Amino acid sequence: MPRLILRLDDREVNRWSLGPVVTIGRLPDNTIVIDSSAASGHHACAALEGHDFVLEDLASTNGTFVNDTRVNRHTLRNGDVIRIGDHTLEFDAKHGGDVDARQAAERIVSNPGDTVFLDADKHQALLAMLQEAGADGQALDSNKVGVLRVLKGPADRPEYHLQAHTSFIGKADTSLVRLKGWFTPRIAIVITRSDQGYTATRMRSTAKINGEPLTGHCDLKEGDVLRVGGLTLEFGFSR
Amino acid sequence: MSRGDLPGTPEGFYLRFQVGARTDTGRVRTLNEDVFLLRPEQGLFLVCDGMGGCPAGEVASEMAALSILEHVSRRERPGTAASAEDGDYLPQSRRLRRAVEQSNQYIFERAQAEPDRAGMGSTVVGAWISGAIVSVAHVGDSRAYLWHRNRLARLTRDHSLTEDGAHKNVLLRALGREAKVAVDVRELAVQPDDYLLLCSDGLTNAVPEATVSNAIARLRDPQRICDELVDLANRHGGPDNITVVVVAVIGSMWHSLSDWTRRLSGGHIAAADSAS
Repeated sequence: MPRLILRLDDREVNRWSLGPVVTIGRLPDNTIVIDSSAASGHHACAALEGHDFVLEDLASTNGTFVNDTRVNRHTLRNGDVIRIGDHTLEFDAKHGGDVDARQAAERIVSNPGDTVFLDADKHQALLAMLQEAGADGQALDSNKVGVLRVLKGPADRPEYHLQAHTSFIGKADTSLVRLKGWFTPRIAIVITRSDQGYTATRMRSTAKINGEPLTGHCDLKEGDVLRVGGLTLEFGFSR
Repeated sequence: MSRGDLPGTPEGFYLRFQVGARTDTGRVRTLNEDVFLLRPEQGLFLVCDGMGGCPAGEVASEMAALSILEHVSRRERPGTAASAEDGDYLPQSRRLRRAVEQSNQYIFERAQAEPDRAGMGSTVVGAWISGAIVSVAHVGDSRAYLWHRNRLARLTRDHSLTEDGAHKNVLLRALGREAKVAVDVRELAVQPDDYLLLCSDGLTNAVPEATVSNAIARLRDPQRICDELVDLANRHGGPDNITVVVVAVIGSMWHSLSDWTRRLSGGHIAAADSAS
């Protein structure tokens, strides 16, 4: 399958194997998004006609150039360089035409359209690059485990470690924090853990968090005080 | 199998759901390689987005959905060993993870064996609801969201180079592409009036999250939400196949009753409440 290689200042930004229709432009709904104010929202498109890909300018403001000639409609040939603003797209018609190319070391494979799949090695290299650029979000340190410390009330332990992804507070046998009493629900509160932190969800109880009734889902912060079924618990992290 | 059979889930808090779903080819593609699978009686909901072109992508997404369903529905053999990282998850989450891993193996083996299916793959996002606990598993860039009181929270992190911008179409993980795949699993608790939304990237690339959140707040009916979101994605160009599954969490009978009595005793009963 032919492909387009996007470059900015001679540096490769991305590459796509071409599906039957490819749209190029600044808006995110394009197959190929060019992040540049010189590109129109929907700048150009390339569509398969017979055995050829035909490039068409979609009445863009700054024009579409092929090999430095402004075009409205152009049948792409191997090696053609499309220019949109400062970006160039090289049309590589030979790519993937034979088995060797398909088994090429980089193994970037895609469906007709836009999704590209990376294998593990390529993934590692790119991840390293992204982490250097500081693109990684703030994730919860997986070694930091949430803890409920008992401040007041009849508990069977001084503190409860929220190691599991889901911990229950209630009368049920499977509860981490076992509550007693006739009118105590089987599950009063569920605490779930994700890579963003801990969330308490009220099931069937009149629990309070920091003195306010617990309703809905509450993201837990260090020092939050939870009152449920006669127990007062403080949320924190263990080291 | 009834939901009560799942080990490790305290009984006594069953929720009911109302489900809507829609899949659409979109305006650019000629094939729909997305599939959804709904098993409300089991609490299982899946969206898979196939890749690999005619006809392999369709095959991969369908294989993924059916093999996950099969694995989840099967009675677990006792003594199935859990890996160390599995220990902190509820049994149903562990089983869902294994089902997804298993589907990866099936697709991979078939892609190896049939040359015209070489390179086929699929994303998956699945939710298995048991009691009030939802296990969410995913591979690829199909997403799960939780909508709660006008807030839409993304539950999954795309396995693409970046979640937005130029590299969002570069997938790092997919089912069927390699012999082993890492499956992300998380657990969350839901309450009545929460909405779970599963979708392929054909929705999220075309419709902003704020618009999705507004559609849920305004329409409330799961099928109407799905229809509206698919129509919106198509109006924004429909660049890809679009699939949306919406699960509205409704209280159990017990919940509705206790809610009603609480409102009665509080004297807050309103005409709209008694009518519904």
